[in-house]
Amino acid sequence: MNDFAMNDALTFLLPAATAMLMLVAVHLVFGLQVLRRGVVFADLALAQVAALGATVAFALGHPPAAAAAFGWSAGCALAAALFLSLLRFCPARIPREAVIGTIYVLAAAGALLIVEKSPQGAEHIRQMLTGSILTVGWERIARIAPLYAALSGAQIALSRARLTGAAGWRGWAGEVVFYASFALVVTTSVALAGVLLVFALLIMPAAIGVLYAERLPAQLAIGWAMGALASAAGLAASYAWDLSPGAAIVCALGATLACAALGKWLAGRGRRGALGRAARGLGLAVGAALAISAAWLIIAPRSDQPLLDTLEYAWPGVRWAYLTEREAGTFIEAEQFAARYRDEAEKLNALERRSRWQGNGLSDDELRALSSFAQSYGEMRRGEEFVMHEVRARARERLRWCLAGLACLGGLLLAGLPQGMWRVRSAASQPETPSSAQSFDTVSFRDASSPSSRVTLALSAASSPTVTSAPEPAAKDAVA
Amino acid sequence: MDTAVVSWRPGVRKARAALILLALLLLSGHGLAAMRVVTTTTDLKSLTEAIGGDRLSVAALVPPGTDAEEYAVRPGDLRRVRDAQLVVRVGVDYDLWLDPLLLQVGNPALARGGAAHVDASYAIALLEVRGAAIGDAGGHAHGSGNPHYWLDPANAEIITGNILEALLRLDPGNARFYEQRRLDYLALLRTKIELWTRQLAPYAGKAIVAYHNDWAYFARRFRLNIADFVETRPGVPPSPAHLATLLALTRENNIRVFVREPQQPAPQIEFLAARASAQVALLAANVGSLPGTEDYVALFEVNIASLRKAFAAATT
Repeated sequence: MNDFAMNDALTFLLPAATAMLMLVAVHLVFGLQVLRRGVVFADLALAQVAALGATVAFALGHPPAAAAAFGWSAGCALAAALFLSLLRFCPARIPREAVIGTIYVLAAAGALLIVEKSPQGAEHIRQMLTGSILTVGWERIARIAPLYAALSGAQIALSRARLTGAAGWRGWAGEVVFYASFALVVTTSVALAGVLLVFALLIMPAAIGVLYAERLPAQLAIGWAMGALASAAGLAASYAWDLSPGAAIVCALGATLACAALGKWLAGRGRRGALGRAARGLGLAVGAALAISAAWLIIAPRSDQPLLDTLEYAWPGVRWAYLTEREAGTFIEAEQFAARYRDEAEKLNALERRSRWQGNGLSDDELRALSSFAQSYGEMRRGEEFVMHEVRARARERLRWCLAGLACLGGLLLAGLPQGMWRVRSAASQPETPSSAQSFDTVSFRDASSPSSRVTLALSAASSPTVTSAPEPAAKDAVA
Repeated sequence: MDTAVVSWRPGVRKARAALILLALLLLSGHGLAAMRVVTTTTDLKSLTEAIGGDRLSVAALVPPGTDAEEYAVRPGDLRRVRDAQLVVRVGVDYDLWLDPLLLQVGNPALARGGAAHVDASYAIALLEVRGAAIGDAGGHAHGSGNPHYWLDPANAEIITGNILEALLRLDPGNARFYEQRRLDYLALLRTKIELWTRQLAPYAGKAIVAYHNDWAYFARRFRLNIADFVETRPGVPPSPAHLATLLALTRENNIRVFVREPQQPAPQIEFLAARASAQVALLAANVGSLPGTEDYVALFEVNIASLRKAFAAATT
């Protein structure tokens, strides 16, 4: 990507990143309250009710940008907020999420029924619920920032005043204020960033904050820092790898939450040996994956092999290790022909595209001829791809016992090695009575270390369920 | 009253009975037996009506302004197809939801390959035929070709030909009527196409960015250069890298006109257009999806007026 493209990208990536920082902050403030109340899906319900309001306005003949449309959608959302504030009086036998889910589906279904009577309304709803973070301009940020600041400031003040936790009518007033400001935030931000991103921003940074801190300021600081980091990473990844930005940020947030939870779990069991535990856990996971892959390779060598396929995708050189010279030759030839056919077809398509506005244009008969050539190239390419697939499948079928053996061996080493290291370390620090699971593991590990018995052990392990039972006691040990 | 006076004589009575019978026959041949035709889209409805006039009663299943590719069938559609004597569809994987409907109705004449089933795409020179999906380029998931062929008004000759062929088979009594109406309509379209081509000639080759790859046939007919699309994969919002490429493309090729359909999302197109101080032309891909596009000819009138307005505003 050249400098020009980078500059172009910055003109919308900078506002998008700024908007994300703002969204992370405001959703964190409300997300902490949402988690505390256990009304995780309230945001979806409120956004859908606001969309219903906009649909009603549209059906009544108001243009989408009119004040009436905003009035309808804000009015409906506030009415729903008032209803949600009454949830505290709802009998305990009915979970709150049941009521929230009901509001959501009713609003969605109602909007659908209204839309059926007014065409073009469907797109209107979709636009209210799928904002695009990339097209946020500075003007829009400047317009929304004061609203967000005021609402989250009020929310923090409210929780400081201990109004939210109060009983009776005083507490209810607190609830009304919470849900009303929440409704305003959600309807604004869903139109800005879309339902997917708003839900993720509401839950995940708040969850990280709650995991690591007890007090509100610390929760806010940790949640915001992690949320901002994940958003930046997601946005950068979406630019670097050409991904949809909302989905990329949601995945980055999810990964951050997973790391945070894992870190908490490791740290929660004493600081000492946390690294060793992490290594052991990772070893067990990879070992189990290898063992399952080995079993799958033996059962169905010709079907998709996720692990082997991923390896080959990342390092195409892996396949030369198991293809014979002749097979490799066939494979390379088929690959080259497939690439050539694809290029030829692309060339024809580009020619047709240009001919629409350059030169004299193609006649219908010329176009038909060109299409049939392009189609033939497509068929021939598929033929070559079939050859590539078949060569690999046959080699895998031929070598499945050997490959599975290697995988099992690797799995055992990975699952066993860190554990052995861990035992040495813990034995040095404190005396420990070896459990039956550990002794089993040690035996298999020592057996595997003698080269002649390696393959036979791995083979018997792969064909019998012992291979899955091997990591199991160790996992039990880790949990205990 | 007069008949009451003369009806005493038996000869006149016979003549009167014959007259009534003749009238009934004429009635049945005319208004009573208007053939019921169901089309999937409003465009095909308009073209079928152009041939059939008042001797056909045509209904389109997909309401205007609704995405025909993702149409959800309603109970009324089942009734409409059950009562239909002829079904006309777009084909090219565009209206696949019709097949389960036809299966449910179970009328062999209406099923694919039946005498009363018209695939209007038959014999059309299709664009972007891939066979298998070759790369991601093109923004379509249709291996068998780009299905928006009705947006080339010259294709109306083949489409109406396919419809006429079925009508001649099912209703040979009105053959002459249908044939003449089709010829008249095609003559009208030819003069219109000449006019439209002249109107768009100044903008031939000028680069445009469209939201989705709906305008391939339209571009080919009127020599327009649709340089890129905002949505490269159906339903997936554009990535930052693609948006950056579009911005660079807009500047390098001095693109001043963007094209969007009313049911397509506005934010990205509006954002790009504002950045490039370009114009957004709102075009209708189906009859009835914009005000003033009541029939097939009006659809092109509106679209071409909208494009000309955008180009004129962009050059000043």
